[in-house]
Amino acid sequence: SSHEYKLNFKKSKEMCLSYIQDAMLQKQWKKAAEFLTFYMESLEKDFAREYLSPSEVIWRIGTEILCHHSHSSMKEFNSFTEQMKSLGVKRYLKVCLEHTFHLLCDGLIDEAYQNLSLSESWRSGDQTVIQDKEMKLIKAYRGLLDYYNWSKQKNILLEHGQDGFEDLSVEQEMHSCFRKAAVNLKEIIKIPGVWDLFVKCYVDLLEFYGDHNEARQVLNEYAYNSKFPTNPNAHVYLYQFLKRHGESKKSLVSALKILHDVVPSHELMIDFNIMLQKSKKRKRRRLGLEVIFAVLDYAGWKENVKAWSCLARQLKQIVISEKHLDWIKQEWNSRKDWWPAFHFSRYSAKRNWQENECLSHEKALVAGILLGKDCKYFKYVSHQGCKAQVKRFRILKKFVNKHNPVYLRVSG
Amino acid sequence: MEFPAALFPSYFGAGPPREEGGPAPAAGWGEYGQVLEAGPGRRQAEMTFVPCRGGTGERWKPADAAAVPLLPPNASCWVPSVTPQDILYRSVLRRKLQAGKRGAALDFTKQLSHFFVDHPEDAFGSLGRLLHQNFHLGNSKLKVSVHPAVTMPSPTPALAAAIPSLCLLSSLQRQARDSTIRMTALREKIDRLEARRGCPQQHLVPCLRWFSHLSRDWLFEVPLGLLADCVHEDLLLQWASLLFDDSPTGGALAWLPPKDTGARTGRLVYPGGQAMNHLCILPCRVALGREGRGHVALPLAGTPDFQDVVLEELPCAQGSPAQFELNGRIRQVAAARVDGEDFVGVRSDYHCGVWRVSGRTGATPTPLQVIRTSVPASCLTVSPHLPGELAVCTQSGAVYLWNIETGLQRLRHDPQTMFFRDHSPWRWSDFTAHPRVLSCADRTGLQCLDTRAPERCHFDLFKVGEGASCQQGERVVLPMYLGRAYSSQHLITTQFSVYVLDERLPLVPVLKWAHMMKAPPLFAHLTPGGPGRTHKVLLGTSHNQELLLLQYQGEKRGSRGGSRSACQLAGSPQKLHSIASCLQHLPTQLPHRHRLLQQRLGAPAAGLAAALQEDGPRESLLVFQLSEAGDVFCQRLTHEAAAHPQPSLAPQEAECPQNRCASPQPSPAAALQYCRWMKALSKGWGKLPQRTRPPTFSQKRLFTRKELEEPLAPSPLHGQARQRLCQAMRDGGRIQRWDPTPPALPQPLELARGDPDPLSTRLTASWGWDWERWWEERTSFNMAQRKQALRERRRRQKRARGRRSLSASFTSSITYQSELSELSDAVPPPLSPGPPREVSPPTGSPPPSPAPEEALLSSQSLRSCGIPKERRKMLRDYLAVWTDGPPEAPEPPDSQASQLCIPSSQSQLSSASQPRRKRPRMGF
Repeated sequence: SSHEYKLNFKKSKEMCLSYIQDAMLQKQWKKAAEFLTFYMESLEKDFAREYLSPSEVIWRIGTEILCHHSHSSMKEFNSFTEQMKSLGVKRYLKVCLEHTFHLLCDGLIDEAYQNLSLSESWRSGDQTVIQDKEMKLIKAYRGLLDYYNWSKQKNILLEHGQDGFEDLSVEQEMHSCFRKAAVNLKEIIKIPGVWDLFVKCYVDLLEFYGDHNEARQVLNEYAYNSKFPTNPNAHVYLYQFLKRHGESKKSLVSALKILHDVVPSHELMIDFNIMLQKSKKRKRRRLGLEVIFAVLDYAGWKENVKAWSCLARQLKQIVISEKHLDWIKQEWNSRKDWWPAFHFSRYSAKRNWQENECLSHEKALVAGILLGKDCKYFKYVSHQGCKAQVKRFRILKKFVNKHNPVYLRVSG
Repeated sequence: MEFPAALFPSYFGAGPPREEGGPAPAAGWGEYGQVLEAGPGRRQAEMTFVPCRGGTGERWKPADAAAVPLLPPNASCWVPSVTPQDILYRSVLRRKLQAGKRGAALDFTKQLSHFFVDHPEDAFGSLGRLLHQNFHLGNSKLKVSVHPAVTMPSPTPALAAAIPSLCLLSSLQRQARDSTIRMTALREKIDRLEARRGCPQQHLVPCLRWFSHLSRDWLFEVPLGLLADCVHEDLLLQWASLLFDDSPTGGALAWLPPKDTGARTGRLVYPGGQAMNHLCILPCRVALGREGRGHVALPLAGTPDFQDVVLEELPCAQGSPAQFELNGRIRQVAAARVDGEDFVGVRSDYHCGVWRVSGRTGATPTPLQVIRTSVPASCLTVSPHLPGELAVCTQSGAVYLWNIETGLQRLRHDPQTMFFRDHSPWRWSDFTAHPRVLSCADRTGLQCLDTRAPERCHFDLFKVGEGASCQQGERVVLPMYLGRAYSSQHLITTQFSVYVLDERLPLVPVLKWAHMMKAPPLFAHLTPGGPGRTHKVLLGTSHNQELLLLQYQGEKRGSRGGSRSACQLAGSPQKLHSIASCLQHLPTQLPHRHRLLQQRLGAPAAGLAAALQEDGPRESLLVFQLSEAGDVFCQRLTHEAAAHPQPSLAPQEAECPQNRCASPQPSPAAALQYCRWMKALSKGWGKLPQRTRPPTFSQKRLFTRKELEEPLAPSPLHGQARQRLCQAMRDGGRIQRWDPTPPALPQPLELARGDPDPLSTRLTASWGWDWERWWEERTSFNMAQRKQALRERRRRQKRARGRRSLSASFTSSITYQSELSELSDAVPPPLSPGPPREVSPPTGSPPPSPAPEEALLSSQSLRSCGIPKERRKMLRDYLAVWTDGPPEAPEPPDSQASQLCIPSSQSQLSSASQPRRKRPRMGF
């Protein structure tokens, strides 16, 4: 009966697919390709109501095999993809987009551009939400390629400009590229998402044409619109923009302060701390201490010499001036129950000393100030340092011994 | 540490997942996902792009044809886990599968009968003892079935002859014959029924129906409804855990790498023993053998009988491998290295323990602390930052930070899931880049919370929803902190995809890939790669032992320097050998042995671990896999260094070995291991105690044919019934009720007695379905009436001091019943015209029942069947209840099997048990 036939057909189809899958997972691409030719049969009688239709399965598997198969070429890949495009209306844009990606990764920028403009003109009745998103991405990528074109023209023009030679046609083309790129890029970055690449390019375009207000607005929107994910890069771009345009320290600090709140472990926090340490305002220096302590809370910074020396420097300053010891006390309060085990164990003293003398020096200074001269870390490192006759460790020991009462005040 | 300068583009939405989901067989292939510009590009003529997925990865080649046993077989008789065949209703299963429909029919009846067989004491204990005289289990003719302890002290023949009470014995014998039921026939009929299971024209043997109806309400120690509920509930749980068992999440296998990178002795931590309740910590020397073929040298390799493995119980001072006996099955073993010491956390259902294993070779693992939970724990992870710190979750929704020194700190207690409602009580917690921040997961997502202020400071890291472009029905299966690769990244697996998340960019996965595994990956292992190398992630499933190797990277690319590039999937995924795949390489076995072996090797996986072995330029990855039977297998992958930079050449090479080994053979060393393992296993089989069958009785019949024979002279009732039946058959109609005008039984009886005592009214009311009204009446007695009644009762008690008191106990009510029945036998004819009428219900239409049933109800026929006088009334009453009940109620337990039990809804269960529950019970 037809029902039974369908069942059997379905079964053998599934079996074939699992063979292909197995071969692919064991990197036997030739075998998989052979099986795939059998699987093509499933296109003819497509009873499937599954999530993935056979045409999509064939597209995906075929693409993967062509990427790895020893005898495949870009030409074959292109013809396969063209066939796949005509196979499923639903996935047309997706296939186009993936085709573009492959072309881009192979360095075939012009072909990719053609492919994008071709698929941009594709229309098919009502678009689904996914298709709409894919279309916007296609446009955005085309905008990106336009931008690259623009920057190429710009470079030519700049080079030629130095020679005192002006080419109007190049300039015109450059401007038309700008217009095409700007329209598409502007469109995509309005939608919530992660658009680092597009934002960067769009801002570059705007900056070149002197539209700083628009650029600032775009970056502000990208960083602070609550509909967008909290992307640290958005804050970084804004900060870099502000820095490029020589904005006031206040606005730089406030931009970084927000980044500190969002991602306390960001690498810009070191710069931030240095900037704040130099500041004359008490409040900012206070913030600087907070920032550097927060950075060192994270496991990723555990052995970063730069971060430790920042902290050591600031602590030293405070200890010498004997002002604001309460700052240290406050910061230390929430950390004293776990920093000793996390940073200042005897084991890490040994390891730091062996691996990075500089790091162990900075850490020992911090340990000596925060935990006193009897702290295991300080004791071990200063002992080893003095034994090895390194001058700065002797100075360190002297310093900590001299300022030991500070420890009592901090921990008390 | 450094955040990538640019991330791959992606949309970010909010709300529930939009994409319709389902297991998609090829969803992970052929997609680059997105591309990103690599390198500065802008100032160069050529731009280069890198894909999010599909970059080139490292090449790891399996060194052997299949997984090789690492340890001797777990020397315990392994009880195979439950299979669907065990708890599904057979015929329905087949039909369902053929129809390709979803849903399953649980064989509730079989399980309930298993319960009766396996736990007869719990099921029938006291009543069995009470009624034991009235059942004959032997095949012989009925002899003395009088309980010797009750009547006489076991008379030996000689003594019996000497005792004059021999005549008493014979009379007792006769009485016993009358009042004893022979189980044999009953059993025979049950067997016959069993043979006919699945037959559409299944008609039940009436005597079985009677019997089950007779005994169904009072025979059980635990009320049957309650018991059935419990059995059914357990069955649903079993079925759910068969579909997806999350208790082994995380895996019960851990590898503690050697302290120095040069050393080769690491330790393997795994559960063993009969109930997987022994924690074994075994130093394992890992070496590369000759010809580059890796093998694992073990302390046991020299001894064929593998005795060396099992070591002393509890902390042993001198032996290097240590074994600890624990109080429950080990579900999870988690390990982390802090300050050169390994901390091993062990989770069983109600206990979690932590051991410290110092890095020195030969040092004894020290047990540190154990906690007990009242609810099963679902997660235990060890902090990679601070020594002696762990995270524990329980199924009640509580998350604890466990510090060896300061004890437990509860961070959260919420039985509800975080982002939307999900029924699963599973919770997970892991550590993050900040030692004071814990991640905390349930099936709906992942949240990070600060242990210093868990109420206030938290943020969402991952949500099943549009934000991560999840599919509908997608659920978190296993989160893992990837701190050893990147300090701020987390791996999250769902049943469809794997995600890599960065704490600094919450809610947007930096990497997503559909893993296409057939079961949800419950185990994961990370092997971090050095600078410029990929990180290897192993994913493992439990049920079908799938193992998948993924590679990802997010390193600085090439010499361009600058900041890190975004996270990328490198290379295509690779499938590794499962334990079951070595079956074909084991020595040939006898068929039944082969089947046992197949079962053993196919046991669900229980853990996964890996060790990276660097031996000069040669690198290899050892992958250990633990099965639920406690066997540890191992396979080696060798790294093929990128000596050939041309990628086009590489695949060709890959093809070669496959072509060469169409049926790859294991190396001689592996073959030897197989032989040894097999030998040890078969030795274990030999040692198994001969499977002793539970004691059975030979029972052929319950009632002899003679006993069931019709009386010589058929009663007028018989004739009448036969006539009516014939009439009905001729007319093609049906018999609505046997008696046109059935008088109500109990009421007249009570009226006749005139002085009803409260117990009889109550019983009567309960039989007449009028119990509620009776209760109301009784409770609304006014004070005077109550006093009156009290006085009355006291007077009566005084009068009948000699008579037995009516306690509420079941037995005494039986005796009272028999008294009643004697009385009812004596009542004048108008009130009780004949026994059959007596049992006819006052209302309702009894189901058409075969004639012999009715005939059996007469006193005569009952007597002729050997049913004692005092029990006849009870039998009748029970049958009355049966005929009276709603049509579905009287079905014997057998027919309940036809009900569909879909695990997700218990509605059918409750509807089935309701009629039973409603009926008030005697003897409460």
